[in-house]
Amino acid sequence: MEKRRKRILLSLTIPAFLLIFMFMIVPLGNALRVSFFKWNGYSQKMKFIGLDNYLSIFSDKVFRTSTLNTFVYGFGSTLLQNIFGLSAAIFVNKQFKGRNVIRLILYMPIMISGVIMGAIQYYIFNFDNGVLNNLLNLFGIESIYWMKTGVRSVLIITLINSWQAMGFCMLIYLAGLQNIPKMYKEAALLDGAKKRQIFFQVELPLLMPAITTAVITNLIGGLKLYDIIVTLTNGGPNRKSLSLSYYISLLYFSDEKAGYSAAVGVALFLIIFVVAVPINQYLRSKEVEY
Amino acid sequence: MEKKRAMLHTKKAGVGVYVVAAFLVLLYLLPIYVLVNQSFRYLTDLSPRLYLPEQVTLDNYLSAFTNSALWNGFKNSTIHVVEVCALEIILGGLAAYGLARAGGRLSSALRTFNICVMMIPSLSLLVGTYSLMVRFGMINKIWALSLQAAALGMSGTMFFYTSFIISIPKELDEAAAIDGAGVLGTFFRIILPQLKPITVTRLIMIAVGTWNSFAMPTYLLTDGSKATVIMVVRKAFYTAAGSVQNVPLACAMCAVALLPVIVLYIVLQRYIIEGQLDSVSK
Repeated sequence: MEKRRKRILLSLTIPAFLLIFMFMIVPLGNALRVSFFKWNGYSQKMKFIGLDNYLSIFSDKVFRTSTLNTFVYGFGSTLLQNIFGLSAAIFVNKQFKGRNVIRLILYMPIMISGVIMGAIQYYIFNFDNGVLNNLLNLFGIESIYWMKTGVRSVLIITLINSWQAMGFCMLIYLAGLQNIPKMYKEAALLDGAKKRQIFFQVELPLLMPAITTAVITNLIGGLKLYDIIVTLTNGGPNRKSLSLSYYISLLYFSDEKAGYSAAVGVALFLIIFVVAVPINQYLRSKEVEY
Repeated sequence: MEKKRAMLHTKKAGVGVYVVAAFLVLLYLLPIYVLVNQSFRYLTDLSPRLYLPEQVTLDNYLSAFTNSALWNGFKNSTIHVVEVCALEIILGGLAAYGLARAGGRLSSALRTFNICVMMIPSLSLLVGTYSLMVRFGMINKIWALSLQAAALGMSGTMFFYTSFIISIPKELDEAAAIDGAGVLGTFFRIILPQLKPITVTRLIMIAVGTWNSFAMPTYLLTDGSKATVIMVVRKAFYTAAGSVQNVPLACAMCAVALLPVIVLYIVLQRYIIEGQLDSVSK
């Protein structure tokens, strides 16, 4: 009876895993296979070239910039989002009129597609009649070519992404702050702890589970960044603000290098795996029970 | 003492707090201002975008509202979102119940596998997915895109539900089993009602993510009549950059496309924000 129940329970997982198998595992296997071929993506002709696609990764300058950018998008956004998010959470946690409205406004950009947000932000950071330059001109400062170089574009994309997604961190920290029992803070106060000490020695360790969730989610999200870049810089100037995700699609659909694109896809997969797993483990080991 | 501190607090929440609050509001509503401002302009209005339009026109909105591609995009996006939500919630919920309750080595292995799958970036599957879907004639089919999107989100939904179902006492299931309920009966009558609040949260997350998704829809729906709303808006901006710079029209289309999202956000804020707070504080 118990065994039959267990079998029925396990069979419930079949449709979901079947879908994952068909649309994730099979494509992953297919991508692995394609990565050993020279192929333009549509013709019947495929030439087996062994590890050549993987080897050419090492001499590809665009790959190097894109990987570096991907790390900036991943780690930079994670850092900024957590700093902004924690500050916003502490701010919104104060008692004042209209805090719920502020909370609502700060979270709103998350509802908006990155592609659309990038398109709007373009008119803020644009050189020619961009809103930011309008503001500068108002104070008599010359217009700045904000997205002139690759480095600047990457930093601006990181900033906008962090600005947009910060609300998620804010809510995580807000939940964390509201969950810390008041007596801990009061006990520390009675012991004569200073405000800063209370924050770093009482609240922050107790926020660790919240930080784990926030860091992992932001990191994976940032390493996969794609949407904002499409409309804000389109990867430019000269493919210098590409993320790996965007580079993969350009390689496939613009450059017609399907095999190489697949190899870069495998590299992205490995990067995310290698980065996210140990960080997850490290942060989990820092968690405190309360 | 508690009262005294509270008083001190409200006293402090004076000017400073409201200055910060005002700054945040400006910082976060600026893009909306820029969008709306431009959408009311004439094409010839080249005055600074920071200032209000020289002359206000509703023409852009008239063209946006009569733009059949935009409405068609709404239709396609809605179909896509409903399909993905249904697939993920039903299949993911059932599977999570199985994973949470079956116990044993196989289900714990499946859960670990599931977490690994969650980390696969969708774009690293691009070549593999696209070439396979071309071969099986699944390009330009919204249902096929929905299956693909649901598969990609499934592991997250399963993870979310599994950790929640584990926190529901097993005794409830056992009591139902003694009363003669089968596995499916227990799920639908005992577990599902308990899952209502987190299902609402998850449903909103899936819907927002699917509505806003861009990369896969762009590559898997190449036929213009199958374009999602986001694709239509992006195209409006894109052609604007190319031949005729009709930024005001693109902005009006964008505003029309955003309006339902923002209205729903404000109407459902309780579920979105509180739900998000509950799901992380669990």
